[in-house]
Amino acid sequence: MTKSIVLQMEGIRKVFGTVVALDDVNLQLNSKEIHGLLGGNGAGKTTLMNVLFGLYKPNAGKVELHGEKVEIRSPKDAINNEIGMVHQHFLQVDSYTVTENIVLGTELKSWPTLKLEVEADQIRALSEKFGLAVDPDTIMSDLPIGVRQKVEILKALYRGVEVLILDEPTTNLTPQEVDDLFESLRVMVDEGLSIVFITHKLREVMSVCDKITVLRDGQNVLTEDRENVTEKSLVKAMVGEGLNVEESVVFSSVVSGAETRWGASEFGEPVVKVEGLHAQNEDSIVVIKDCTFEVRQKEILGVAGVAGNGQQALAECLMGVCPIHQGSVIVDGMNVSETETRDLLEGGVAYIPQDRLLDGFLPTASVAHNLILGYQRNQAYSNKGFLDWKIIFQSARQQIDEYTIMTPSAGDVAANLSGGNIQRVMLARAFAHPSSFLIAHNPTRGLDIRSIDFVYKKLFERKEAGAATLLISEDLDELFRMCDRIATIYSGEIVGILEKGEFDKYEIGRMMSGVKAND
Amino acid sequence: MTDTNISTNSKAKAIAAIVLPYLLAILASFVASGIFIAIMGFNVPKAFATILFTSFRTPNGFIQTLLKFIPLMLQALAFTVPLAAGKFNIGGEGQLIVGGIGATAVGIIFADLPLPILLPLVILAGVIFGGFWAAIPAWLLYRFGINEILTTVMMNFVSFGLIDYVATQIWRDPAAGHPTTIPIGAGGELPMLISSPPLHSGIILAIIVAVGVYIYTNRTSAGYELIATGANPRASKVYGINTRKMFLLSLIIGGGLAGLSGAIEVAGYQHRLIEGLQSNFLLLGLIIGLIAKGDNSAVPFVAFFIAVLEIGASAMQRTMMIPVEMVFIVEALVLLFVLLSDVIRRR
Repeated sequence: MTKSIVLQMEGIRKVFGTVVALDDVNLQLNSKEIHGLLGGNGAGKTTLMNVLFGLYKPNAGKVELHGEKVEIRSPKDAINNEIGMVHQHFLQVDSYTVTENIVLGTELKSWPTLKLEVEADQIRALSEKFGLAVDPDTIMSDLPIGVRQKVEILKALYRGVEVLILDEPTTNLTPQEVDDLFESLRVMVDEGLSIVFITHKLREVMSVCDKITVLRDGQNVLTEDRENVTEKSLVKAMVGEGLNVEESVVFSSVVSGAETRWGASEFGEPVVKVEGLHAQNEDSIVVIKDCTFEVRQKEILGVAGVAGNGQQALAECLMGVCPIHQGSVIVDGMNVSETETRDLLEGGVAYIPQDRLLDGFLPTASVAHNLILGYQRNQAYSNKGFLDWKIIFQSARQQIDEYTIMTPSAGDVAANLSGGNIQRVMLARAFAHPSSFLIAHNPTRGLDIRSIDFVYKKLFERKEAGAATLLISEDLDELFRMCDRIATIYSGEIVGILEKGEFDKYEIGRMMSGVKAND
Repeated sequence: MTDTNISTNSKAKAIAAIVLPYLLAILASFVASGIFIAIMGFNVPKAFATILFTSFRTPNGFIQTLLKFIPLMLQALAFTVPLAAGKFNIGGEGQLIVGGIGATAVGIIFADLPLPILLPLVILAGVIFGGFWAAIPAWLLYRFGINEILTTVMMNFVSFGLIDYVATQIWRDPAAGHPTTIPIGAGGELPMLISSPPLHSGIILAIIVAVGVYIYTNRTSAGYELIATGANPRASKVYGINTRKMFLLSLIIGGGLAGLSGAIEVAGYQHRLIEGLQSNFLLLGLIIGLIAKGDNSAVPFVAFFIAVLEIGASAMQRTMMIPVEMVFIVEALVLLFVLLSDVIRRR
């Protein structure tokens, strides 16, 4: 049986300034199909869908729905054409109920009153039908991220969609929630919807999609039925010929499961000892509760958890930025509560912050300025308080080369850097200075696969050289690939620590939602 | 060979990219204000010639310009140094006045000391008093998080009362018709570099300070921390810079610079404290700092340009009866067009 074509995008081209984001891209979506749109960062996945949703106007190309050409100039046009999109960062009013959030912007039957019983019932019916368990009367801010995601999908369903676009929907979900989401997607497809599923995660594509399109550098690379592809062929399509796949960390872990040949080694002495750590934020809210763990030489300790469960506070406690209320943190012989952050950095602690714009970046200063932030009193760069700009620029140029930071010169103002390049500055700064302990918080966010591989190799190099690493990440695949042990954090507490070999994504998923290991 | 050619070429291009918007802004502001002068019925070319060339026609004009340049540049730096750390010091005139009071007090109390001792004390007193006047808002910011814009402005008004008290009560000069103190000791006066027309050695101090500020902000680790704090206080804190201390320090340095300008006015020019010595240096300093876009190394050049306009404006008023306020319009327009050129470049 041949399926009917719902949506056809042809020859789509989109140029931003001098950058060609999409170059003659085609996409064909059949009815009742889950179509995976796969590609690394910057491949053009989201741009393509933003064109379809009317957020960007393409420079060339056409969009057809059921064989008829349509002009989509705004999200309103898209919704009128029954196209819905769930964005990676959702826009919700925290103080509204679920129902109020969903009906916002639609015509109300009870207008001008706010009696939303009819709508609430409708939403209840939808959520039952598609297995998206949400209580319509709850206040938004009381809901965990996984449920908020469902609300966002319900928002699209409530408006009546035929084509649903999901942009990286699994980013903040536990493995259990991912499974539930996939089941709901199946139900939706059975009900007649067609779904475009944007992701960079191979495993998800393989487990839920019927058809897969791979984009690379704004171009179509491959479109195939799932039966005809393997994870291996997809990786090759995603990264192209430039990457030596045999040497790639990302690739080898895809082929051989979680284990990599870089993995096992003998651990040395503990570098970091955290005991009974308690911390509060500026509003006196407890952010870290009774954390105890060690990180040894040659060890990468992972921290798993849904974003916002105290990961940043933990990193900042270890960096001496967030004050320690109780307990002790010893890093490489230094008592953190009595040591200035500056001295920690000088003493061999490196940090890659997760929010690079807020926590690690000087937009109005030069790239060279940015590369020495925190090391401005290091003897390599300064002599009796005077900066040696010749050496600073020399090492900046070296790092720009090694980390492929795209900038006209080391003296250029850093605000001109793109997100991925800012991340490379963060990496260069952390890796270029010798350190016995590195705190890396989502170090690969916003990077293409080749750069991710580069980061992984750097981390393994450090490991082999005997350094300790704390890798905080929301990407479980990353943690499985890199870590010797994984601690799971839930609302500021370490719920459990698993050794390599015991890694189990459902076990960690349970802990991510607060269930203790031995419960 | 070619390599150096390319690099000098690109350097020249980079400089042109910075200077060109300024030149265009100046040109545009002259065109716009020329229209006003024409409407008011004056001779436009003659007016502009007076504004631009008075400073360079006679030695006296040039020295007058330098004398104006000293307080303008110091006031501008008193604004831009804290600005580098992201803080706004709008208290430059108060700090100038209090610095002047400090210098005068030392100059009168220790009037008999010889020059090598008294002069450094007078200058130092100006710096310390100015710094202290800024330290009050700085401390309020450090301790209680009170907005420094409000407090530095309000400290100006307190200083008006203070100078009035000093000039009419403590060291009043009964012979003067205007609130003025008795003169400071001869040892507290800045030596003259040229006696006629008179140019005092304050200009050397001012240039040393400008170079010092440049070295501090661009060449030292401590200056790096100041710049980093201004660029992103949160990131600076995460990377171990004590940002609250930088806020405090930057405001005190700004106060010290403004206080120095007060001390130089007293020790170099008036040799006594006269109420009103702050002139309108604060506002001009802000304009200079903003035209320089907060760049400490550009401030001296912009300050000199504004000093030229100021001297030209008073000459224009004397010889052509064009109101001196005309030059405020030119200055404001330069600022406006410089800021506008930024907006255009961003598009």
